[in-house]
Amino acid sequence: MEQSWKQAKAAFAAIAVPPVAWLVLFFLVPLAVIWAYTFGENVGPTTIDFTGTFANYARALEPLYLDIFGKSLIIAGLTTLLCLIVGFPVALAIAFAGPKLKSWLLLAIMLPFWTNLLIRTFALIAVLREQGYVNFALEWLWNNASGFMTLIGLQPLGDYEPLTLLYNNTAVVVGLVYVHLPFMVLPLYSALDRMDRSLMEASLDLGAGHMRTIWSVVVPLAAPGIASGILITFIPALGAYLTPDLLGGTDSQMIANVIERQFKRANDWPFGAALSFLLMYLTFIAIAAQAFIQRKAERRG
Amino acid sequence: MASPFKREKPGPLEYMRQWPLRLIVGGTLVFLYLPLITLMVFSFNDSRRNIVWQGFTFKYYEKALTNDSLIQAFVNSLTIAFFCTIISVILGALAAVMLWRFRFPGKTAVEGSMALPIVVPEICMGVAMLVFFARVFPWPTGLPWPLNLGAITIAHISFAFPFVATVVRARLSSFNRELEEAAKDLGASEWRTFWDVLVPHMKPGLIAGALLAFTLSLDDFVITFFTAGPDTVTFPVKVYSMLRFAVTPEVNAASTILIVVTVVLTAVGLHLQNQNNSKESKA
Amino acid sequence: MAKGKYLKGASRRSLLKQFGAAAVGISFAGGLAGCSRASSRTVNFHNWATYIGPTTLDDFQEATGISVNYTNFASNDELFAALRAGNPGYDVIVPSNEYVTRMADAQMLMELDHSLIPNKANLLPEFLDAGFDPGRRYSMPYTWLVVGVGYRKSRMPSPTFVPDSWRYLLDSNQFTGRIAVLGDSADLIRLSAKYKGHSVNGVPDAMLSEIEQMLIRQKPHIKAFHEDDGQDLLLSGEVDIVMEYNGDIAQSIRDDADIAWVIPSEGTLQNQDCLCIPNQAPHPEDAHAFINYLLDGQAGAGIAEEIQYATPNSAARDLMPEDYKSNTIVYPTPAELARCEYGAFEGDEKARLYEEIFTRISAA
Repeated sequence: MEQSWKQAKAAFAAIAVPPVAWLVLFFLVPLAVIWAYTFGENVGPTTIDFTGTFANYARALEPLYLDIFGKSLIIAGLTTLLCLIVGFPVALAIAFAGPKLKSWLLLAIMLPFWTNLLIRTFALIAVLREQGYVNFALEWLWNNASGFMTLIGLQPLGDYEPLTLLYNNTAVVVGLVYVHLPFMVLPLYSALDRMDRSLMEASLDLGAGHMRTIWSVVVPLAAPGIASGILITFIPALGAYLTPDLLGGTDSQMIANVIERQFKRANDWPFGAALSFLLMYLTFIAIAAQAFIQRKAERRG
Repeated sequence: MASPFKREKPGPLEYMRQWPLRLIVGGTLVFLYLPLITLMVFSFNDSRRNIVWQGFTFKYYEKALTNDSLIQAFVNSLTIAFFCTIISVILGALAAVMLWRFRFPGKTAVEGSMALPIVVPEICMGVAMLVFFARVFPWPTGLPWPLNLGAITIAHISFAFPFVATVVRARLSSFNRELEEAAKDLGASEWRTFWDVLVPHMKPGLIAGALLAFTLSLDDFVITFFTAGPDTVTFPVKVYSMLRFAVTPEVNAASTILIVVTVVLTAVGLHLQNQNNSKESKA
Repeated sequence: MAKGKYLKGASRRSLLKQFGAAAVGISFAGGLAGCSRASSRTVNFHNWATYIGPTTLDDFQEATGISVNYTNFASNDELFAALRAGNPGYDVIVPSNEYVTRMADAQMLMELDHSLIPNKANLLPEFLDAGFDPGRRYSMPYTWLVVGVGYRKSRMPSPTFVPDSWRYLLDSNQFTGRIAVLGDSADLIRLSAKYKGHSVNGVPDAMLSEIEQMLIRQKPHIKAFHEDDGQDLLLSGEVDIVMEYNGDIAQSIRDDADIAWVIPSEGTLQNQDCLCIPNQAPHPEDAHAFINYLLDGQAGAGIAEEIQYATPNSAARDLMPEDYKSNTIVYPTPAELARCEYGAFEGDEKARLYEEIFTRISAA
């Protein structure tokens, strides 16, 4: 299906050169400088000496930091899973909505994300905290239930204990899902929109239920969209630091928080760089493995 | 492309008219908007610290609207986001087509590099940009607006366009190459094939990518923080420094204004679209 | 079916164009407005947020004709990181005591020309020199502050109970789940050392591992590590006892009289926020003029009135109302001050060690 570049050299040049040139100059070059730092040592407060040392990587691979990596992977994975579970039906609904509703829905999903992340998170705090709206609502329900029970002669429920929804890992996951949901919905929508519906209709006509149709027909067709959605949700979630910082408790440190502190308080740029690159290498290996599996599946299929 | 299932009863694929999906979509919207609504309500709160409701006032709106530096930050953010979106969509689309259509030596390396901006932790990228613009590619200071926003814009484009490329590429995988070949057989040039056959198919991907790039740019904090200077402050950076110290309703007021402006702009855009389309259909 | 096909066909791109055009329109209008305001002389002032009087900058412009380009940062670390690779164009910055030393060591600060700052005569004698900046070569004091314990009176075990020891925050489960402490590695470790009876500086390694163990034991009882918004946690009822700066608690008491403050008996950290000029500042002379203006009595009073932090400026203090001058939260008594120490910058290696300890505590 792919064409060799030699068959259309001029087109290839026109298409390939701008993005690749930009990537090299404004991304790979700055990154290369930081990559060089991972092999450097701090001499003095602002200068770094490139000594070719592996000490930074050795330190980054200590159990302390590997544990933190592991925890971040789990939280990011949970976030992605939740985003997928919520995002897929939403994307499906939008893709199949009437044309007028569709654009409004898309806008409605995107709009919260044009608000500043920090403000949204503070607003989320106002909802989740002990004197926040969720607890207010639950307290109201609780008191009414208590009143009801007294009415029918049972012992009233005790005092309402507010739920601690904030400053723990649950809050971090909720916050991350809140932030990353559109990054899951948009690619899914893009893949589901204008999908060949005759296949779905055929499947339904043949008697398969909705769930079966979705699982066996829609999901394989939308697989690239799902994959890209997972990719652009999981990886930023892994590197999130504002959300765990603001919503997390004393146990909610993620790898990006540690990296941030190396670049700031500890003034240890080589070590911070080493941790960042380690994170990248690991993610890269995961992506490569997934691509490898996918190619194998394609060759077979 | 009208749906042939326009019956009285919802068709099997008209998910939005079936209650389970309505519930899910509705629930999601509540989840997304509840904090925002509290944000907007609290912008009228007559309290410095804005933790407990203490009375209704417009004074924080006054403060926000007369706060020159806040307005300047707004404007900066919108400008950067606008340019970033345009260029990111172009670069992202080109990158997606390149990877989808061609086989060339070093393709895996290029694919890998395209994934890098999504994988790099933001703080690492921020520091990289800091060093880059300070030592390697010094951006001249004291440039007139909007050129002084160039460094930030470049940084934003660099991390946004791979997101666009990913989304567009997913869309391209469903393209039927026979259409392209048919166009070429009929004598269309490369450019016409690209523009009239490929681009329309990419549209949902391009729109989704544009929305994504715009969001990423408007909301970016970490990378902008490291590339900003005294006269290039953006809205998130300004808000961050305000929020850390005092959660005054002024920030809520500013955000509410931003939300309202965005909604109005888009509503106007959609309305004009409506008119445009009805004119087209009459013609 | 053209109607309603907003996002299909060529209409999609033109939608974006229209939106973009509107955005650019607004941007240009705003930008032009910004350009017209840029006068010939400016000074770029990079300060903590809400750390200035409401009219200070305008008054300065009236008095001297120099306009102030005001930007904010949220922590010393950010300031240091932003300036580390070179000055992006700031004229006056406000680092804290420890960071003055750190930045001076890193040659990031310009030596001040005291002849251009005659208002320094307004300063109280104890601020004319400083251990962290001998001879005031690089800095002028702006405000000073102490860390202490803010608490909610009604949630204490008895109405007369005063939690006047760091023990309640660092080494006791009495207030389990209702405690918030500063999430800054150096400050936390220094205060723990103070609790154990040692000075905040020069903490020996043996004591450091004791402190680490103590904090790991205490962690389940601590609700959150906060970064300067502890007073919000206290006000909103998330916690009952918090490690915070005096000015923040003084401001909260204005909003909620149930909150109180105490400096623990073991003593505490004292900080001083200082005005400095970074190297390669674009307008060094105007920067000196601005610093001089901030040290003026009227200006200083206007600032102190707004931010409720202690001022080192005697001329400003004299102009303040009685309730501010006698406010023992803002101005600790001499007995309390005797137990306060400045945290010194002890080198990057020590800072990294403290960071690693904090990472271990957080991961435990």
